[in-house]
This record gives sequence, structure tokens and C-alpha cells, in this order.
Amino acid sequence: MALRHDQGIVLRSYPFGEADRVVVLLSPNQGKVRAVAKGVRKTKSRFGGRLEPFSHVDLVLYEGRNLDTITQVEVIEAFPHLRQDLDRVLAAGAMVEVLDVVAQEEEASHRAFLLLQRSLRTLEEGPPHRDLVTAFLLKAADVVGVGPALAECAGCGATGGLHRFSFAAGGVLCDRCRTPGAVALRDGLTGYLAALAAAPIDALPEEDPSLSDDALGVSRRFLEYHLDRRLGAAVRA
Amino acid sequence: MMFEAPIQRLIDELARLPGIGRKSAQRLAFHILHVEEEDARRLAESILSMRSEVRLCDRCFNVTDSEECSICRDLRRDPSTMCVVERPQDIVVVEKTQEFRGRYHVLGGSISPIEGIGPDQLRMRELVARIEDEQVSEVIVATNPTVEGDTTALYLARLLKPLGVRVTRLASGLPVGGDLDYADELTLGRALVGRREM
Ligand SMILES: [Zn+2]
Ligand SMILES: [Zn+2]
Repeated sequence: MALRHDQGIVLRSYPFGEADRVVVLLSPNQGKVRAVAKGVRKTKSRFGGRLEPFSHVDLVLYEGRNLDTITQVEVIEAFPHLRQDLDRVLAAGAMVEVLDVVAQEEEASHRAFLLLQRSLRTLEEGPPHRDLVTAFLLKAADVVGVGPALAECAGCGATGGLHRFSFAAGGVLCDRCRTPGAVALRDGLTGYLAALAAAPIDALPEEDPSLSDDALGVSRRFLEYHLDRRLGAAVRA
Repeated sequence: MMFEAPIQRLIDELARLPGIGRKSAQRLAFHILHVEEEDARRLAESILSMRSEVRLCDRCFNVTDSEECSICRDLRRDPSTMCVVERPQDIVVVEKTQEFRGRYHVLGGSISPIEGIGPDQLRMRELVARIEDEQVSEVIVATNPTVEGDTTALYLARLLKPLGVRVTRLASGLPVGGDLDYADELTLGRALVGRREM
């Protein structure tokens, strides 16, 4: 009978058996962790709302053959306000979806964890920057080692005339290196993407609403290309 | 261990039901083997007839055996208040409280960006049409107090308020009969925000 301690942010959970749920967490030390929360779907569960998505919790786990079972939960940080605003809860949903895809089990993920924690704190504080999810996608790409080249040409390193973006080449391309498949970026978009990727998530550059949709589109498709997987509706909105 | 094919087939089917393990499935199968033939037939027929006779209400999407469910047909129910739930089972739970005399609307689930379920996969359009047709003045959102249920409630508020209806959400609070020191921060926080004058 082995007990162990862990902590993490709840990414999602799904029903398991009659009244249980399997909770999926992102732990800084263990990466993606799955554990059973017994009886959590009952209104009188002793876990209450502690294991809801976005909660940062400290856990005591009982190690099982397949899945560990959660025996104790303590909330470290709950983010109650972001759940009361549709735009913020959708942004948080998009973030956990991405990390659920990129995080691996039994693989430390300190950077991914910190990125999520900072992003949730930013969302908790108030109405978010309109390109917060875009910045998050660019940073998540960087965390998993596929961060796009945005300040210089992915082909030759040139810093001027970067008007195209190639998913395969891994970033922006200058006019000399452009490939047939590379998409054209509208004026200012290259610089805007580079600024979003470089700035801390809680201090993003001034919003440019005219570039928002394109910035999200390029970032999402780039990440989808490298993860070989489509991201859900929340990342689209 | 494997049993004779006809028995094993039934055990396998029973074991696929929620909450039934291999052991219980075996016990049930042998029970059915030993009851009167007529009892076994009645069980089999009731499963089939439930499947063929039960359908969804044309108006509220509750389960029913006719075009409209008994609640929608009941003229004593107040058409001006509507309770929105995720699943037909939730209607039974709200009905048991005997506190609600309006009508229902079953969404068929909740918005879950993580599972890829958006408003388009739920019966939102039908809800908006009913609010206009049936002159509803208050919509009570009774989705689960989970992130998905909350997100659905926020979406409904944004969708419905421009139509001039009052949108309310079931209060979250402490479970009756529980101890205060067992309450989690999220539940207790909401109970505080939703406190009422005495
Ligand atoms: Zn180049
Ligand atoms: Zn009905």
C-alpha cells in the first residue's frame, strides 16, 4: 500500500464507472497524471469542487495497478473568477486542451506548468488581452520545442522582408526563401506575432484588433501542423 | 472461466451495463436461467418495447411515449417559466423537489470546449424558438455546477438576455445535512456570494 504526494493543475476529467471520475492533471514533476476520484460526481462528495478543471491542487494518491486513486485534495489556487465569464472560461478551456495534447505522462513539465499557471492567473485577474490565447499557443509551441521562427527567416536568418509563413519550414520566410506552400502574411502580422511570442504572458504588447484573427489562425494552424492534430472549438473562437 | 455459449453471451451483454461487474453479470444470468420462462420473456419484451415506444418530446426533448411529454401536455403548468437542463434524467430530479411548476427544455448535454462540444451540438436554436413562441419570461438554468455546466449557463445568459427574458441560475451552496468544515473553497465561496437576507 503505497501513498505518494503530487501537485498539479486539473486539465479535465471524465466520468468513470457509476459515480467516479478520472481526473487528468498537469504536474510539474510528473507531466500528465491520471487518477481516479471516487464518488466525486455525488453532490455530497468530500472532494466537492476541488477537482474541477483549472484548480491547482495538492494531492495524496494511493498507487494502484493501473490508475492511482486520489485520497486527499487540498486547493493551492482555485481561480474562481475566470469561471464566471464566458470569454475567460473559453480561453482557459483552450489552454488546458492544448496542454492535454502536448503533455506526456511521466515526463517533467515545469515550463508547461508555469506557462499554464501564469496564464490562468492573468485570466483570473480581469478581462484578458484579446490575443492571450494566440500568445499562449506560440509559447506552448516553444515549450514543446517547435517554437516558430518569427524574428528572422527560418531559411536564411535574414531579418527583413519576412512576408510569408511556412508551417513545414517552421516559421516566417523572406522573399528569397519563400516556398510555394508558404502563406502570405498581411502587413504588420510578422512583427505582431514576434511580439506576442516574446512578451511575458501577463505583459503582452498593445492589442491590434485588425491582426487578431490572422494571428490566431496562423498560430493555431502551425501548432496543429506540428502536433498532427486538430485543436477544438475553443481554440478556433 | 467461460460458460456455454448462450449463457456466456448474456453474461457479456449484462456486464456491459453501467455498474455491473463480471460477478454480478454471472449472478444475474444464472438468476434469469432459473426463473419461469414467462418472467424471462417479460423482461426481454420490456427492454424491446421501451426502446421502440420511448421517444423524445417534440417540444422539450424530455423522454415520452407520445408526441409531447406529460409535462408539456399539462395545462396547469406555468408556461412563462422554463427550466433548462442537460439531460432528461435531470427533469425527474427537479420534479421531485415539487418546487417548480413551469416547463422544461432539455439541451442534450453541455458546452465542453475540451471535448469539442459547442453550442451548435446542443438544442439552443430550439430553445430560442420556444422562448419566442411560448412567451417565456424567465429561464432557470439548471445545468450541472461543473466548468461545462457553468460555461453553458454563461452562454445561455449571453444568448437569451437580448430577447428580454430574465435568466437565472440555480444557486450553488452547501449540501443540506453536511458539516461546514468539509466544504471546499469553491463551494463555500459561492455560498457566500449567493448568501441571502434573513
Ligand atoms: Zn530567407
Ligand atoms: Zn415535453
